[in-house]
Amino acid sequence: MIIADRKPLEEIQEMVENCEKILLLGCKGCVTVCNVGGLKEVQVLASTLRIARKKEGHPLDVEEKVLERQCDPEYVEQLRDSYDQYDAVLSMACGVGPQFLSEAYPDQRFFPAVNTKFMGGAVQHGIWEERCAGCGTCVIHFYDGMCPIARCSKSLLHGPCGGSADGKCEVSRDIECIWDKIVRKKMEQNRLEDLRILRAAKDWRTARDGGPRRSIREELVK
Amino acid sequence: MHLKNRLDVGEFAVLVEMAPPKGIDISRMVFIAEKIRSKVAAVVVPDMTAAVMRMSPLGAAMILQSKGLETVMQVCCRDRNRLALQGDLLAAYAGGISNVMIVDGQDLAFGDHHQAKAVDDIDGLQLAEALGGLCAGKDMAGTELLGAPAFFFGAEINPGLQGSELERELEKLSRFREAGAGFFITTPIFDLAAMENLADKVDVREANLIPTVMMLKSVGMARYIQRNMPHFHLSDELIRRLQKAPDKVKEAIQVARETLGALREAGFKGAMLAPMGWEQKLPEVLV
Repeated sequence: MIIADRKPLEEIQEMVENCEKILLLGCKGCVTVCNVGGLKEVQVLASTLRIARKKEGHPLDVEEKVLERQCDPEYVEQLRDSYDQYDAVLSMACGVGPQFLSEAYPDQRFFPAVNTKFMGGAVQHGIWEERCAGCGTCVIHFYDGMCPIARCSKSLLHGPCGGSADGKCEVSRDIECIWDKIVRKKMEQNRLEDLRILRAAKDWRTARDGGPRRSIREELVK
Repeated sequence: MHLKNRLDVGEFAVLVEMAPPKGIDISRMVFIAEKIRSKVAAVVVPDMTAAVMRMSPLGAAMILQSKGLETVMQVCCRDRNRLALQGDLLAAYAGGISNVMIVDGQDLAFGDHHQAKAVDDIDGLQLAEALGGLCAGKDMAGTELLGAPAFFFGAEINPGLQGSELERELEKLSRFREAGAGFFITTPIFDLAAMENLADKVDVREANLIPTVMMLKSVGMARYIQRNMPHFHLSDELIRRLQKAPDKVKEAIQVARETLGALREAGFKGAMLAPMGWEQKLPEVLV
């Protein structure tokens, strides 16, 4: 899923400083699962904003709503009758949300309340880690289920680099060296020979380097 | 006389674009450069135009400088991050290159290394700011430099736009000027009329606007440009003139010479000639 972090409160307050009435819009998709933009988080942020603005003597009317998904025009359409009743809409979805909303309602302003970070999952309660960089050409099978594009700081296809020490990455001791794990697993499984295969320079066209991407499923296109 | 001084005093500056070789054989580039040395104010060295891999402009410009030619080194943000860009700029200045032109750089899809990953760490305007910083003695991280360069830098501008697109371009021009850009070289034009939209809105002398005169190597090329490049104004009349000419090469050279002359007459401070592979014909154009 897509992992996001909530933006610092000051940044959000700055976005809505000239507003008197806003809609705080959550999403029941990924951001609910990673506890950043679901119903609970909408309620907490709404209260925080109200209290902060009340203290400043400039109250902010915050309405709360959570859509099934903000990345789906069908659900975005549910705001048709109400979107223009606010000075702005603050979206707690990933970066897709405010954009789909802006496209559907061009005369309203939509602000992001979260920073969208990566595709990954929870490794323990409250900790999420990156697993996929969305490069468009999956090579995980070459590396025993570990993606060096997303998980090596240098995205090396032939690692590890000289900065790998004690299974850690030179970027931070908090980052595991995925190449150390790949090599260890290959050794354990007696398949170290796999790593002798020279991988050609990657074709980055399927990643962002081919420009903004589209996925077309002909059988579904009406 | 350095390019900046030449523009300051208003002496018409003829620039010539010269692509570095795709390989290490610099003999042709040097041969032509030496032939035109006394006739040009500076040679503009592109940064892998159309994303086709060639010798870096840093290397080629240093070679040309060593042969006594002044150069304008183009730099785009497609292939290098802010460390590499700044490092190459410092190397350039230390190597005698004091003129830099910031260009957008076409997408990798246009070139010969389609699978490559673009860098685009910073954009052109940010690079202009960084150049200003380097000249003030500091790198982008704010660290003091051991000796600061004094670059004269410029950017590109498209005179063929209209309406809101032209407004956008003018906004870009003014932002680059605020960042310290001292000249602007245009995308190719084929007659004076192509400069009118821009000239109506900008003092071309104050902004040091330098139109690019592209050599039309064939009628086919002219037709292709007319059909496929909507921002390049190429008249039917010019195509007919080339079609009718008994010696098309001679005519193309004559057209380029006339356009250069017309720009000089019209008060532009300079013009850049883009030979498009016809470098060997430059001495005939620059008589």
